[in-house]
Amino acid sequence: MNERGLRFSDLRANVESKEILKGIDLFVEPGRVHALMGPNGSGKSTLAFAAAGHPNYTVTGGTICLDGSNLGDLAPDKRAKAGLFLSFQYPAAIPGVSVANFIRTASQAVHPDDLTPAKFRAAIFEKLDVLDMDAALLGRYVNDGFSGGEKKRLEMLQLAMLAPKYAILDETDSGLDVDALRAVGDSVNDMRKSDAGRDTGFLIITHYPRILQYITADVVHIMLDGRIVKTGGPELAQTIEREGYDRIREEAAAGAL
Amino acid sequence: MPSSAFAQSRAAVAFNDDEATLQRTIALLEESDDHGGAVDPDVRETAFARYLALPAPGARAGKNWRYDYAALEVAGLSWSSGRQPVAALPQRPGAKRLDDDASADNLSTANAGGLFHVGATVLEPRELPSLDPRVTVLPLADARRTHGDVVAGVLHQLIDFQTDRFAALATAFQNCGAFVFVPAGVQLAEPLVLVFASAPDPAAVFPQIVVVLGDGARATVIERHIGESESFICGTVEAHVGSGAQLDYVAVQQAGESARAVVARSARCEARATMRWHLAELGAGLARTTLETRLEGEGANAAINALFFNTGMQHVDLATTVRHERGHTTSATIVRSAANDRGQGRYLGNIIIRPHAHGSDASLRDDALLLSKRAHIDSIPALEIAANDVKAFHGATVGSIDDEQLFYAQSRGIGRGEAERMIALGFFEPAVAHFPSEALRNEVRTALDAKLDEATERA
Ligand SMILES: Nc1ncnc2c1ncn2[C@@H]1O[C@H](COP(=O)(O)OP(=O)(O)OP(=O)(O)O)[C@@H](O)[C@H]1O
Ligand SMILES: [Mg+2]
Repeated sequence: MNERGLRFSDLRANVESKEILKGIDLFVEPGRVHALMGPNGSGKSTLAFAAAGHPNYTVTGGTICLDGSNLGDLAPDKRAKAGLFLSFQYPAAIPGVSVANFIRTASQAVHPDDLTPAKFRAAIFEKLDVLDMDAALLGRYVNDGFSGGEKKRLEMLQLAMLAPKYAILDETDSGLDVDALRAVGDSVNDMRKSDAGRDTGFLIITHYPRILQYITADVVHIMLDGRIVKTGGPELAQTIEREGYDRIREEAAAGAL
Repeated sequence: MPSSAFAQSRAAVAFNDDEATLQRTIALLEESDDHGGAVDPDVRETAFARYLALPAPGARAGKNWRYDYAALEVAGLSWSSGRQPVAALPQRPGAKRLDDDASADNLSTANAGGLFHVGATVLEPRELPSLDPRVTVLPLADARRTHGDVVAGVLHQLIDFQTDRFAALATAFQNCGAFVFVPAGVQLAEPLVLVFASAPDPAAVFPQIVVVLGDGARATVIERHIGESESFICGTVEAHVGSGAQLDYVAVQQAGESARAVVARSARCEARATMRWHLAELGAGLARTTLETRLEGEGANAAINALFFNTGMQHVDLATTVRHERGHTTSATIVRSAANDRGQGRYLGNIIIRPHAHGSDASLRDDALLLSKRAHIDSIPALEIAANDVKAFHGATVGSIDDEQLFYAQSRGIGRGEAERMIALGFFEPAVAHFPSEALRNEVRTALDAKLDEATERA
């Protein structure tokens, strides 16, 4: 039987022929929440894009395996169909394509014979409600003219509708007001309580421990310069919040980590 | 309804753009009693002389334009004129193919009346759609007899065959057309539909259409070109929009793949009139369209929504011109074009603001999407602004599908092809969204979607 989980093994990746990820080992189990923290430019988004199969991010070594199968050079849509979801730090706008049409097309692609139109409608309205989003948004074009916070909520709406096996949330909490942050937390927790989302494993990329008050992390990892230099429990996020990254940087430089 | 049901009963002339053919067509029109012609022989001769004298539009603007109008081959098509009684009009006046009703779910539009041509022959159903009795919709030749003075005052007034070579050809060989008159104050809820379907035989079709809206009138006119066969459509459309009147003029061109469609359209707007053009160039191997709007009355408004999508070897050559002649006139031009395969397009966008057109406001936005390496679109804006207290905006882009949009859609499980289709259809939306009814918008979306499919099949 295949191992279940999202596993990064000695992952190395380049952007524009510059090495950004320098050997990442990380294992996200089904149903567990891992947080990934690290200073700006340390490579967190690169890890997320490499997992999702962005064509500009070249894997030069190591593997990413989802439930035991190597994602290799699968196209991004095949990875989504395999059960991976990425909530973008900066989601793209697609003018002329309505949110409703986009999410319906995505759901049909990921869960081909799951939803009748009526059930789809019911499901999306329920999720809009949890996220405290206006239904008028369904008729708007994807992320077109959306505020930063609206974009992030739309990412969470898609997460809830697609109920993936593994979700990477890249700074979904950045730029959110307190109410939005709570709504995002509620939405994720709702999903985790549902049958469809009970086993979803999360990798939450964040700069702030605040989101972890809503979504409790089981494990916290610290990334520095393309490497995971420290792994600990939820208290590690608090330590970073208090002390910043200097001490970890010094320890890493001294080879203590 | 099979297209063979409309086999042409009248005598026809083998068309060519030469003097001998002109004389044969004039003779044919004179000996027939149901007279399909609406242009006098001497005017035809004058126009034909201009056609021969004027140079073919060149490759001047847009250096990569590959189509040579001098090589336009029109010989051998069938030129005819007249009318044919039928029991009823085809069920779906909007269906792309006459014999393909069942597959054309979205293609019918509500219809307040109109004319249905096969080739240049007008079908005369025993029962006409009920039309508001105050409104006139007639074949142009009939209108010349019944509304002679009005027609004489408007026909050939906006499009000058002295300077426009194809307008000269259309005038010389005019064999069909329509006269639409909506008197002052009459407001029509449903559109008037003028259909030109190409017959099973390749036809030479020369429509001249005149639309007159009295002061405060409101109407939507839909001009459609549909069909499968190789035909040559060469026509003119002239619209006179009275004070405070509002005309939505829709032209949906879905002529056959190897058809050629060359149409000049012009509108003249009086004070506070509103003219909205909605143009979808989807068919034909070569489509050349000019759209001119003259804002001649204080406070007149124009909107131009145009889109074209070239697949296969299609060429589309579109020029829009808005002339701000008076003060406080406004215009908004939105053009969305895409090309796939070896499709080629050229767009010329002209805005002219005259010195005395104080307080005018013009915008021109055109965006082109290239879906293959061999596709090509030139976009050439020309703003000629002679007044200084005016607002004028222009923006243009030419590009391919955005990689980040594509990745975003793919990251949601949507396959590359489907994602590209979705993004391409979305690209057209700013133009489609302005079409004046949901039925029309859906029809255009369906047609664009089908064209994306064809391109995918070829790839
Ligand atoms: N497309 C690109 N071209 C050039 N360099 C890039 C590109 N994408 C990322 N990089 C570089 O890779 C490094 C890691 O970037 P990444 O976005 O992964 O950081 P991050 O940890 O997500 O940072 P932040 O916390 O600011 O979001 C940075 O030095 C960045 O400049
Ligand atoms: Mg980042």
